[in-house]
Order: sequence, then structure tokens, then C-alpha cells
Amino acid sequence: MTEFSPRIVAFCCNWCSYVGADLAGTSRLKYPDNIRIMRVMCSGQVFPSYILKALELGADGVLVAGCHIGDCHYVSGNKKAQERVETLLRVMKTLGLDPRRVRLEWISASEGMKFASTVKEFVEEIKELGPNLLGVR
Amino acid sequence: MKEYATFLGCIIPNRYPGIEATSTSILKYFDIELLPINGASCCPAPGVFSCFHLESWLAIAARNIAIGEETGQDIVTMCNGCYGSLAEANHLLNGNKELKDKINEILSKVGCEFKGNSKIKHMIEVFSEDIGVKKIQESMKNTLDGIKVCTHYGCHFLKPSEIKKHGSSERPRFLDDIVRATGAESIDYKDKTMCCGFGGGVRAKDIDVTLDFTREKLKNIILAGGDCIVDQCASCHLEFDRGQAEIKKIYGEEFRLPVLYFTQLIGLGLGMEQKKLGLEFQNIPAQSLLDKINGGRK
Amino acid sequence: MTNIGVYICHCGTNIAGVVDVEGLTQKVAKLKDVSLAKDYKYMCSEPGQDLIREDIKNRNLDRVVVAACSPRMHENTYKKVLASAGLNPFLLEIANIREQASWVHLDKEKTTDKALDLIKMAVAKVRMDEPLTSLSANVIQRVLVIGAGIAGIQTSLDIANIGFDVVLVEKEQSIGGRMSQLGKTFPTLDCSACILTPKMVEVSLNPRIKLFTYSEVEEISGFIGNFKAKIRKKSRGLDESLCTGCGLCQEKCPTKVPSEYDEKMGKRKAIYTLFPQAVPNIPVIDRASCLYITKGKCGVCKKVCPAGAIDYERTDEFIEEEIGAVVVATGFDPFDPVSKEEYGFGIYRNVITGLQLERLLHAAGPTKGEVVRPSDGAIPKRIAFVQCVGSRDEHANKYCSRVCCMYAIKNALLIKEHHPESEIFIYYIDIRAFGKGYEEFYKRAQENGIKFMRGRVAEIFEEQKSRNPVIRADDTLLGMVTENELDMVVLSVGMIPRSDSSKIQKMLGLAASPDGFFMEAHAKLRPVDTLVDGVFLAGTAQGPKDIPDTVAQAKGAASGALEVISHKTLQLSPLISEVDERLCRGCGDCKDVCEYGAIEIVTLDTHKVARINPAICKGCGACAVACCNGSIKLRNYTDSITFAMLDATLGGAV
Ligand SMILES: Cc1cc2nc3c(=O)[nH]c(=O)nc-3n(C[C@H](O)[C@H](O)[C@H](O)COP(=O)(O)OP(=O)(O)OC[C@H]3O[C@@H](n4cnc5c(N)ncnc54)[C@H](O)[C@@H]3O)c2cc1C
Ligand code: FES
Repeated sequence: MTEFSPRIVAFCCNWCSYVGADLAGTSRLKYPDNIRIMRVMCSGQVFPSYILKALELGADGVLVAGCHIGDCHYVSGNKKAQERVETLLRVMKTLGLDPRRVRLEWISASEGMKFASTVKEFVEEIKELGPNLLGVR
Repeated sequence: MKEYATFLGCIIPNRYPGIEATSTSILKYFDIELLPINGASCCPAPGVFSCFHLESWLAIAARNIAIGEETGQDIVTMCNGCYGSLAEANHLLNGNKELKDKINEILSKVGCEFKGNSKIKHMIEVFSEDIGVKKIQESMKNTLDGIKVCTHYGCHFLKPSEIKKHGSSERPRFLDDIVRATGAESIDYKDKTMCCGFGGGVRAKDIDVTLDFTREKLKNIILAGGDCIVDQCASCHLEFDRGQAEIKKIYGEEFRLPVLYFTQLIGLGLGMEQKKLGLEFQNIPAQSLLDKINGGRK
Repeated sequence: MTNIGVYICHCGTNIAGVVDVEGLTQKVAKLKDVSLAKDYKYMCSEPGQDLIREDIKNRNLDRVVVAACSPRMHENTYKKVLASAGLNPFLLEIANIREQASWVHLDKEKTTDKALDLIKMAVAKVRMDEPLTSLSANVIQRVLVIGAGIAGIQTSLDIANIGFDVVLVEKEQSIGGRMSQLGKTFPTLDCSACILTPKMVEVSLNPRIKLFTYSEVEEISGFIGNFKAKIRKKSRGLDESLCTGCGLCQEKCPTKVPSEYDEKMGKRKAIYTLFPQAVPNIPVIDRASCLYITKGKCGVCKKVCPAGAIDYERTDEFIEEEIGAVVVATGFDPFDPVSKEEYGFGIYRNVITGLQLERLLHAAGPTKGEVVRPSDGAIPKRIAFVQCVGSRDEHANKYCSRVCCMYAIKNALLIKEHHPESEIFIYYIDIRAFGKGYEEFYKRAQENGIKFMRGRVAEIFEEQKSRNPVIRADDTLLGMVTENELDMVVLSVGMIPRSDSSKIQKMLGLAASPDGFFMEAHAKLRPVDTLVDGVFLAGTAQGPKDIPDTVAQAKGAASGALEVISHKTLQLSPLISEVDERLCRGCGDCKDVCEYGAIEIVTLDTHKVARINPAICKGCGACAVACCNGSIKLRNYTDSITFAMLDATLGGAV
């Protein structure tokens, strides 16, 4: 049996977290290759349905990453994201989905290190949770 | 009637019972009851202990708070050192859940739990906030007119100011306000907010350094023309009282400056029986001061 | 039929070292709608760009994916390639296979798989991207400058001299700012007024500068190129058009109060100008101290005014101005040392601030340039400066205020020149003499016998009889605590953000840095821009600065503003939200979440709809998420595009 290799989608805001991910690259930090980054303009642009869709299509984990509170390029997009994700996490339980599969993080443009360690941690955590059964077709 | 759990610490019961006696009976007069905390230990001293091993220090302080909390009342101390320990421990534990859990794990071995529901107060706050300067002033029976008082606030009540938050930490006024309420004059002197010399375990390790501080403060007070020191801390009280005896013994220098805890001064103003103030248990006789007060009355 | 071209870059070995580029290219070529896939050593090089350009033309590509470094590096380069080949530049996607693949992973096979996934996602997106064209908006070719200190003055002059109109709004009754309060300036010891007043006069004479003094901006609306400002012109209690500035009213006014401009070192009248060279030279009646206004008595100024200009009942006026860009030059406040209790400022009379000393040293100040002790008017012979008061201090401000070392040295030298016998001490932690000619200036002070004492001052107390302040400090060079009795102590107070800066901040939607000053768009590369398009910063409003740096930044802000308003029209990014009016029911949820006020609910014949102002929208997408009807879309970041991309990586769809 091959080892379970989680599939993770990350929505990274264009102004902070995507740049943080780039910085992890420029600094040649290493992190697991399980992650696929989607650039969004702002964490506040992420519909809850994007997260659900990803899970429905079989993603084992979804990361939403934006600027730190107070630093959003569009003032308050990240606060909106926070409210939405928190609400979603509550609903997920009711839907029978494990809320641990969704994670919201604030990663600034200068936090390449944090980006890499977040991915590492998240992958480990998802490995423990096992595969998302919606994805097993 | 308001009630407080009383944390006495070590110095008061062992050396200056007058501080407790006067405070208790004056508070009764103002309708405030002091409840005992049974089984309390040393606070333990704020600076030294915590520097060596923060968790041990916290655990002991937390135990003292925990058994005080059982009375369901806020906790009051009469010593800046005790106040420092308990208030800082309370602050640290209430602000850090992880630390609180860790300390409670230690406390569970002795069947204790720190909840963090009680406020830690100092006796000076009870007088200046619960009773208030006005009420003190109105209850005075003996005039202390003409008595020149030098106040000493001590360090651990005011600092670190980020945690203690009692207003100005460099130029505080509340103790002077209480002194003025008794009719006495509060006079300024050089380096008023300087340490008495007791702190930081220096007294135990390096008595010369300690007494050097004490001497300087005493000199400044005498130079300014003070009739007595009024303090709000049992440790400072010991330092000024016992310190004078030690200075005399070691350096042959004599100041004869009476040392009063602020409730003892209020007691004088309330016309309390002098025996009840416990001044005779102190090293430095207060006779000169008492004569001046009695002389003034005539 | 879609014809997508995919270009995979080796980036030397940066990508090719970890990704099997040739294998990848073969796989990509088989993806749906991909009509060709090519790899090249350096795609961003001239030949690489040509490759794409030629293919677009010869192979009829209608969309392009470049798999290379981060879009933050070369997205614009490739956009230009598309445009030059006649293809809409928004039909380009970048797959970031360097920063987010080859540089962060080691396993060749897996990294190649990941790169393939990233390309699939980019293909899925580009297939659905819409061609977009930039919008253009008209530009109002005037600039609003808020604050007329040296920063605002310089910016205004630069813009006006190039030939554009400026609206300059100053809160105080005269322009000049803090610089007008200073006696002389380091490191050249020029008299401040001598270099400032000519510029002030130039402002008042320049026909392109519309000056509002004793005025404040109350409201700003609009967007880059098209702002509207509402200005409150406060009543001076007189008719400005009649006043000749003869000064008779000031002379005869019987009321004297401490002068704020003199930092309470001198007095002023109830009707007063700030200083003799004020621009405009028109007084203001201080309503709080005027006897006629407070008690109904006096009225002397009205009686003596030869022009009949006094009008106690005059009210504030409101004026609207339209502008295309804004420069914020509102300056700083000096730190108030009352909160540093250990220094006894406000308690010991002979402890004063650096700015108070400037007033004493000013030839037109309250003492005509003579430094005297406040307690008895004697000339102080032993003076100490205490550095970093309120700066570099965990209990006050963490930052360095950048001018205090130099102004203390300046004033120490000036006093020494006047009274060579005086003894002067400067208590410092570090001396920061970073500017041009500053270190030399510091050296000169040392050679002139000014004593530099290294160590933070612990406290100041007072000898009661003499009123002499005594400094107790930890002298870190001697390694001991020292006490020093002086005639006077000067606290070198730092700079803090203006107490009313939050009003401007909210009005313009600016951000503040952790130190409280207005935040620039980028600390290094965009130090005069803000994150609000069309709004620029000049001078100490952005952070502590000396005059040379202030002037330099002011010139930068002028050029930033000119870049906006020198064109008649402006290109706006088309990557914004758009409303499908057929679906919209005008509920206004989108309007509530928009931080920029870009959305308006308009009433049509039968119903209401939301309209987005394309010039204001920044394209954050918040409204799209808030819309419960799905009637708002962020262009090229739509649900269907996102779902298609997710499907491309997760669902195995191609
Ligand atoms: C004691 C001291 C000595 C100094 N000595 C020197 C020196 O020798 N050499 C040197 O190079 N630098 C010196 N400096 C620094 C110098 O003062 C500053 O660099 C300079 O004044 C900054 O100019 P500014 O235009 O940015 O700000 P300011 O001079 O503060 O001007 C800002 C202007 O904006 C106005 N304003 C504020 N808010 C509003 C509003 N809401 N609406 C309209 N108008 C508004 C203010 O009234 C003011 O006129 C010294 C500073 C101090 C404190
Ligand atoms: S732009 Fe990064 S979270 Fe809004």
C-alpha cells in the first residue's frame, strides 16, 4: 500500500500570502509538494463555496491565507474572510465534514518561513486525518 | 458590611503585630471586616524567588490566592512585597491559560485550585478608595496639626506600572492625601520615591548596601525637617525601624526617627489608645512624636 | 475553437534542474485546447519573447500560458508581448513553476507532476478569461496640498512652477509650520526665517496657488483624478479683504494670554498674528480670550481699526474645490514630556523643551534671542540637554526622531557662541549624526568644549532654594551614577504624529504605520505614495525627518502628484467587479461591504440596482462574495473560472 499523500488547495491573497509563498521559494525553503496554490486578489474574495467545491472534488485540505488583520490591501477583506470561514467551520460539522480540513492563516509578504511551516504542519495534520472520503470515487 | 480575606505575610505577625491590630480595629470602625486566610504561607517574596524559579514562585503564590479565594472575597495585603507577589502572580496566571493550567496541575497535588476570581488589593486602596479621604478627615478626633510627615510609598505597590496601574508611579499622591486628611502636613524630601534598601534580597545578602540606602533616605528626611516616616509596607517599615537600630550599632549613627504604618497615623488621629497601636514593639520609640501631638493638644 | 499556446521556461537550471521540462512539454501539448507547447532556456529574454510573438501571429494563438517564474516577476513583460502581437493582454496566464515549485521541492518526478497541475490550472483559467480593456477617466488637473509647513510649501511651489494649479490649505493662521518657530537650523546655522520667509512670500505671490489659511479640509470624496474637497474657512473675526495688516489692533488689545506659538514662553494678545512675517499678515481674534466676545466689553480693536475690518459676528465659510490628486503634508507634533514624570517637566520651572529653547533663541521670539531661566529670568550658565525624550523608549515611542541629536548640538553651539563661559552638557545614548555635514558638525561641538555624557538620564530633581534642576544619570563611560546641578535643563523632545491626524487618515482612507505616522505604499520603493491612488505624502506627516529630507520628499510628492494630473485622462485597471443588472435586486449588501464607497444603489423605473463606479473599484471582490444573487462578478476571477481550476487539479478534468 502506498503512503497517503494528501491533496491540498491553498487560496493565497495576491498582496501578502502569495508573496509570502514566493518568498519561501526565493529563500529556497522546502515544504511538501502536496499543495496547489490559487492566487486570489484578497482572502475576502474567497467564497465559502470555493472551499466546499474543493472538498467536494476531493481535496483533503483547504488553506485560506491572507494578510494579517489590519494589513489587508483592501482594508477589511481578511476580516470578512475570517467571519465567513468561522461560520463555514461550524456548518461543516453539521454537514459531516471535518472542520480540521479547512484552515485560515495570516501570512504576510515577509513570512516565507511561516508559509513553509504552515504547509508542513497542515500536511502532517491532514495525513493524520486520512483521506477525504468525498474524494474516493 | 464589606469583607476582605486578609493575607498577613510573614513580617507583620512576627515583628509588627501593631500594623495588623491597628488596621483591623480601624476598619471595623469603618464597617469593614477582615477575614483570616487559614494556612497561608510566605507570599513568597516577589523579586528574588521569581528570578530563580518562576514556576515555584507562582505555584506558592497561586496557592495563597487559591485559599484566599475560598472566602469568596477579594484579598487584601498590608505589605507591598506580599501585594507585589500576589498581584503579579494573579496577573500572569489570568493572562495565560497555558501557565494557569500548568500551575493548577501542581496545585492539584495539594488539593488546591487557582480560579482567579478574586482581586488582589492593598490596604492603602481600601483606605483611599473604599473609605475615602473625606470620610477619614471627618472622623478625626485628635488634631495632628503641626506634625511634619515624610511619606514613603515603596516600590512593589507602584511598579511595574504596566501591571500595577495605580496612576503616577514617579509622583504618586494618594498616601500624602491620607496623611493630609489626618491634619498632619506631608512634606517633600529628596529622593522620595527611592527604595528603602530592603528589596531584592539585598538585606539578606549585603546588609551594608541595604543600610547605605536606608541611611540616605533617613538623612534626606531629617534634612527636610520630618517628624516621622509614614509608610504603607511592612517590609519598608522593618527596614526603617530595625535599620535605624542596625545603623546605630554598626556605624554609631543615630536618627531616632519614629516610623509609622499609615494606619497607625490614622489611629493617632482617631484617638486610639496608644497601647493598641503596638508602637512599643518597635525598635525606635515614638515618644518624641507622641509628645509633640499631645503638646499640640494642650 | 480555442488555440492556447503554452511556453515552459527552463530558467537556466532554476526550473529545469528539478522539473523534467521536456517530458512536461510533451504532456502539456496533449492537453485540450492547447495547440502548441514549447520550452525554452530563458523565456523572458528577447528571443524567448519573439518566440511567443511569432507564434501568436503565425499559428493564430488566441490565448497564452507561460510556465515560468512568479507572475510578480514578468507578468507585465509577457502582457506587453501579447499586446505587441495584437492579442488582448488579459488573455495571458502565468503558471508559477519556479518560486512555487522547483525552488521549494526536491523530488523531480513529483515536482514535474505539480508543474503539470499548475499548468493545467492556468490553461483552465485562460480558456475562460475575458479580453479586457482599460477604462479611461478625465483628470482634473489641479492638486490639493494639505498643510503648509516647509513640506507643503515646497510641494506647492514645485507644482505651480511647472504650470499646474494648486489649492493649498493650512490650518493655522499663517503658513510656515514648525520651521517658522525655529531659530537657526543645523548644520549650517542659517537663520530659519531667512531661508523660509522668501518661500512663504513666493507662495503668496504665485497666481497658480490658491491659498486657504485658517482653514481645514472637512470632507474628501471621489477618486484618483476626480476628488472633491469641502474646505472650512474658519472665521478670523474680521473681513480679510479689508484688513491691511497694519497691526494697530494687536498693539491696542488689552488682553494678554500665553502664546501657543511661543510654546508658552511668551504672551500674545487676544487679536494676534503668529509672528511678524506671517503670510498672510492678517490677525485672528481668539474667541476664548477676547473680552468683547466673552463678556461683551472692550471692543477696542473695532474702534481702532482704520479699515473697519473687525466683524465679531463673522461666521465660517465653506468652499468646494475639485482636484485630481492630494498631497498630505500635515507635519508633526512635538512629544509632550509631561508623561515622562521622572524629568519633572511642568513641575520644575527650569526644565524646558527643545522647542521652547528654539523660541528663546529666535531673534523675533519672546526674549529677542536671549536665553533666560523661566524661574528668575537669569542667564543660565550651566545647561544640560537630555536626549531621546519620548524617543527610543519602550514607555513612550520606540522609534528615533532623527532630529533631536542635531538640534541639541545646534542650540548648544549657539549658546556657547553667545556666552563662551557657559558650561554645556549633552546626555545621550547614541549620537546620530547621519546626514550630510552632520558628523562634522558634531565634531565641531566637541571641539568647542561641549561635554557629551553617555547614558540615559534616570531622573531630574530640584534644589528647592535655588530652583536648580539636578540631573541624576548613569554615566556608562565612567560606569557610575552621577549627579549634576544645573541652571537649566532642556529636554530634547522627539516627534509624534499630530494629535488630529486620525481625522485626515479616516477622511482619505490612509493607513498608519505602527509608529502612528501615515504609511507609505512601500517602505523603500514607494516612500511618497500611499495605498490610496492619487494621494501622496510629504514631510514629517510620514515619519520624523529634518528639513533637507522633508524638502526632498516634498519634491518627490510633487512629482508623484504631477504624474497623475499632467495627463488629461487616466487609464484605470479593468480588473474590477461588475454587476449583472438583470439579476440584481438592489438590496445593497454589496454597498455595505465596499470599503471604497464604489457602489451606488440607483433607482430605475421599476426597481433598484447596484452600480459600481469603475474608477473607484479596486477589484477586491468583497462585493461579489456578499451578493446573494450571484449578480456581481470580479472580472476574470469568477466562480466558474475558480471551479474550472479546482476541477483541473482535483477532478482530473482537462
Ligand atoms: C525643536 C526642533 C528643532 C528642529 N531643528 C531643526 C534644524 O535645525 N534643522 C532641520 O533640518 N530640522 C529641524 N527640525 C525639524 C523640522 O522642524 C522639520 O523637519 C520640519 O518642520 C518638517 O516640516 P513639515 O512641513 O513636514 O511639518 P510642519 O512644520 O509640522 O508643518 C505642517 C503644517 O501643516 C499644518 N497642518 C496640520 N494639520 C493640518 C490639517 N489637518 N489641515 C491643514 N493644515 C494642517 C500645520 O499647521 C503646519 O503648518 C527641528 C524640529 C524640532 C522639534
Ligand atoms: S489583500 Fe491580503 S487579505 Fe485582503
